[in-house]
Amino acid sequence: MSVYTLVVTTPPHQNNTATVIEFAESILTAGHQINGIFFYQDGVLNASTLTSIPNDEFQAPAAFVKLLNDHQVALHLCITAGEKRGLTDQDGVININPAFTVSGLGEMVELTSTADKVIQL
Amino acid sequence: MSSTSLAVINTKAPFATSHGKDALNLALIFGSYEQQISLFFIGDGVFQLLQQCDGNTLNVKDFTKTFAALSFYDIENVYVSQESLTKRSLNNSLLIDGVEVLSDDVIQQHLSQHSAVLTF
Repeated sequence: MSVYTLVVTTPPHQNNTATVIEFAESILTAGHQINGIFFYQDGVLNASTLTSIPNDEFQAPAAFVKLLNDHQVALHLCITAGEKRGLTDQDGVININPAFTVSGLGEMVELTSTADKVIQL
Repeated sequence: MSSTSLAVINTKAPFATSHGKDALNLALIFGSYEQQISLFFIGDGVFQLLQQCDGNTLNVKDFTKTFAALSFYDIENVYVSQESLTKRSLNNSLLIDGVEVLSDDVIQQHLSQHSAVLTF
């Protein structure tokens, strides 16, 4: 059994992001653990509640929330990267999906230092 | 708590995208938490290390000036690909101080000694 940290740097409309979710499910099915998924660069856009993906396309944000609900995989959002891209939880305007934990790069240090493998997709 | 030795590979030229800045910010945080980290510059990433880099002339905040502070964060391992420099007609003497130019074979050996690799 290995502990994985996943790093997501691609936005919800890119197919790499679908690969993250398939990879995460495969890891869990194989009996490994994911100590958290860290969202950095354009990956933070997966946390936006304003993103609307056509029904017949892959719903990456919903799939991440399902990973959290089904497997308690923490979703950490780099807030500095998020704020640059219009994500906020300040002043009554909240467009960050509450399933995501607002974090910083320090959390990434914490995750990677307790993981056996760090995978960026 | 076990520790991860992290390799950060820079592959993008400095100012067209924010990849270089994002990679550097990440490296500085890992450095300030006393994590082992090495920086690799390959492909167009080598342009980040040119002495004459000046983002200010492009109205971009010049993050490359911060490379001079890497040793304060105990980030001593900064490696550049000789092949990538040669392909871009760049001479080692054009690079900032404190970087080590290595062949791709040696870079590969160094990379294999790290437990995690992130690419920007």
